[in-house]
Amino acid sequence: MRNYIIRRLLYAIPTLIGISILVFAITRLAPGDPVRLYTFGALNITEEDIAGLRTHWGLDKPLPLQYVDWVTLAIQGDFGRSLQYNRPALPLLLERLPATLQLATVALVLQLTIGIPLGVIAALKRGTWIDNVIRVFAVAGHAIPTFWIGLLFIILFAVTLRWLPSQGLLTVGHDVWDIPDRVTHIIMPAFVLALGGIANYSRYLRTETLDVISQDYIRTAHAKGLRERRVVYVHALRNALIPMVTALGPLLAVLVGGALVIEQVFTWPGVGQFTYAAARSKDYPVIMAGVMVASALLVISYLIRDIAYAIVDPRIKVR
Amino acid sequence: MGYKMPVLNPERLRSVSRFSQPARTYVEGYMIRLWRAVALVGMVSLVAAACAPSATPGGTASPAGSAAPTAAQPVPGGRVVIGTFVDIQRLNPSTSNDTGSSDVSGKIYDSLVTIDPKTAEVKPWLGSWKVSADGLTFDWTIDPKANWSDGKPIIAKDFLARVKMQARSKVTPNKSTFNDIEGYQDYSTGKATDISGIKIDSADPKKFTVKFTRVFCPAMVSVFGSAPMPDHIFGKYTVDNDPTKVVDDAAENNNPPVASGPFKFKEWRKGDQTILTRNDAYFKGAPLVDELVFKVVADTNVLAAQLKTGELSIGKITATDVAGFQGEDRLKLYKWQANSYTYIGWRGNNPNVGFLADKRVRQALAYGIDTAAVVQSVLLGEGAKMIQHHPNVSWAAAPEKDLNPYNYDKAKAEDLLKAAGFAKGGDGFYAKEGKPLAITIVTNQGNKLRETFLQVATEQYKQIGVKINPKVEAFESLVPKLTGGSPEVEAVIIGWSLSADPDPFTIWHSSNVASPTKAGNNFVGYSNPEVDKLIEAGRNGPDCSQAARQKNYQALNKILNEDQPYMFGYTPKEILVADAKIQGIDPGTFNLNGQWNIEKWWFKK
Repeated sequence: MRNYIIRRLLYAIPTLIGISILVFAITRLAPGDPVRLYTFGALNITEEDIAGLRTHWGLDKPLPLQYVDWVTLAIQGDFGRSLQYNRPALPLLLERLPATLQLATVALVLQLTIGIPLGVIAALKRGTWIDNVIRVFAVAGHAIPTFWIGLLFIILFAVTLRWLPSQGLLTVGHDVWDIPDRVTHIIMPAFVLALGGIANYSRYLRTETLDVISQDYIRTAHAKGLRERRVVYVHALRNALIPMVTALGPLLAVLVGGALVIEQVFTWPGVGQFTYAAARSKDYPVIMAGVMVASALLVISYLIRDIAYAIVDPRIKVR
Repeated sequence: MGYKMPVLNPERLRSVSRFSQPARTYVEGYMIRLWRAVALVGMVSLVAAACAPSATPGGTASPAGSAAPTAAQPVPGGRVVIGTFVDIQRLNPSTSNDTGSSDVSGKIYDSLVTIDPKTAEVKPWLGSWKVSADGLTFDWTIDPKANWSDGKPIIAKDFLARVKMQARSKVTPNKSTFNDIEGYQDYSTGKATDISGIKIDSADPKKFTVKFTRVFCPAMVSVFGSAPMPDHIFGKYTVDNDPTKVVDDAAENNNPPVASGPFKFKEWRKGDQTILTRNDAYFKGAPLVDELVFKVVADTNVLAAQLKTGELSIGKITATDVAGFQGEDRLKLYKWQANSYTYIGWRGNNPNVGFLADKRVRQALAYGIDTAAVVQSVLLGEGAKMIQHHPNVSWAAAPEKDLNPYNYDKAKAEDLLKAAGFAKGGDGFYAKEGKPLAITIVTNQGNKLRETFLQVATEQYKQIGVKINPKVEAFESLVPKLTGGSPEVEAVIIGWSLSADPDPFTIWHSSNVASPTKAGNNFVGYSNPEVDKLIEAGRNGPDCSQAARQKNYQALNKILNEDQPYMFGYTPKEILVADAKIQGIDPGTFNLNGQWNIEKWWFKK
């Protein structure tokens, strides 16, 4: 198992290098100039000042050389300095990460605790109105863009009903440890972020459960006189959950990616909001650091998936 | 989504308050801005698109009316929560260039001078000055009562510290602000270990002299509007004989331990809010409110929603949001003339549209658009037509009676096009020598107001036989094309947010014509020796008196009005929504955020 993990991590290195080359090229070749954006409106600026900034940030070197410089430092954990904030890019991002992880974690919990039961119920009540409602919800939850749902929720729950705050991490004037206040702030963005996953899992689980309950051993379990509840939750659900693990793998990364949009809508001060703003101002070091952090998360979550697979399904062995 | 700030200029001007004490003003960050203004998230505004904004029950206070002394006595206490679209980036004004940061740092650090928000007049604040007859030497005395919040006096050395840290900073976009101070550039490059032009009085640490190498009229705002920085905190980061030592990474930059302004820094919750508390040691007396919170919100829709729920106490909105505040008794709207305008710039130096070099064509384009209708459809009436570079309320503006108003006149527009050699073809569009009169107008994406302006212009120009190809492009890729003189740009709809000092050098002087080899803000390629001369006289004097400069700028505005290098478009009103309990709000054109006298605000119980 240990060898397996090490090998997988080694495989990740060329992947990350490939991603970094791609993102580096895309950000640099896109139109726009960070120095011009940064200095825009400074009335007394001279061309020498601009050249000085370019040199200071190493933007005057040929692109391949800039990339080599970047890799050399990135390996040592130095992702360069944010042009906008004049602080190292990685710590800047990492100080935003907890907010994003909070949001993603709550969303994940919501996805599983809502999505799985919905799928099972739909399967057991197959063909009834309950099933139909859940299935319509699943398709809708998948199809409707989350930012739009987010805005609708804000109008309904924050502006009209005034049940929940519309934006941010906590109320102005409240302590950062005011947990009830934070809970009221996180519910709406987390739920909206979770919607796609809830829809996805309920559909997955419905299909899988239908598959499993038509199997012989379930009929056997029934024949043995086991109670329905036990048949469903112990015999059927456990097997139905196995394919779910594949879907769970990239989940964290998907949630972090989805957070990019949701964080905009709810002004959630996380990595997504920050990277988005960096992209707008062409803050190259922050963009690169953001993409690398997200890629690393993706690689790690795939690894966790494969390990989890081996644990839940004894038929699979990692070598 | 997100990132839709009105990128307006960061001048925090303060001025003379109507309350008992004279108030300060402040001018950090002398600059102009391309005005990006507000983009909306992919959602229609929360409000219905009606107008009649003056019906707001809270009363649409005129700036003057709101300042009338109230019967009630000011009471201390309370917290003002200010809605903003951008988080702060750096709180050291010597290295920052963004509006979000300067709005906050302007409350922490005061300047030597203040600018009257109503008249743009420069007035003494932390310091007072005397200028020599040749306009080159300034003797300054800092107010004896002025102290840092830790009790240490604000002294000449603090101003020197500011100049020095900016000289050596590797990341400041404003290194050249002090270029005209004698010896500054040598210090900046490390050739000298002191700035010969700044001399501190050996007998009185609050007195100093600044000597310039040439007369530079905007210096009152750009140089002396630069806030002194506490030498006892930041002095150690700049080392006279070692130019590699810089203030850029000082821990105190984003955690200022002392303040000279009305508020002290308390906490920066990254991406969410910045909290300031009142400075009891403030030299003009402690502010009345306890706390200022700058809260980041996603966009104007959210801003509007949070003002209504009371989560925010003040925020700037646009004309299209006004109707949504009808019937909100607990909120009050303040409107005032903006120091900005949105225009169509005609590239006079782009061979693709060579006909735009012809003044008659540009004048035809001025006559051919009904600006009143544009103001109505784009700003719902909350603005006015512009026919010159400076807004009417500025002392630099030419009197309207001396200018051509370019009233909407389709016949006249077509006559001018014919005079310029164009003839109408069968398709209804003018053409000359087989080349149609077609112009691509680009504007920045996501700015609904400008996109509407572009639609209206396209439609109206069609009626006078001019074909417009409307185009939108992301702000960040458009800006380099404009300032780099890209041939892709034929005409542009964009805005200027002007500095409190009227110097239009970067926009209209021929040395600032944008080209691929030299970036500039004169991206229409306007070049007129007479205008150059007027700009230079207004900028380099030698007579920097307002009367002398006014003569030059009024003449300049007359020429621009005649030449029409821009269709000057419209100037919007600034609109501030505030909790109706807040007393003392008194905005003016030359204070962008309307917060210049925030230390005098108080909450009526």
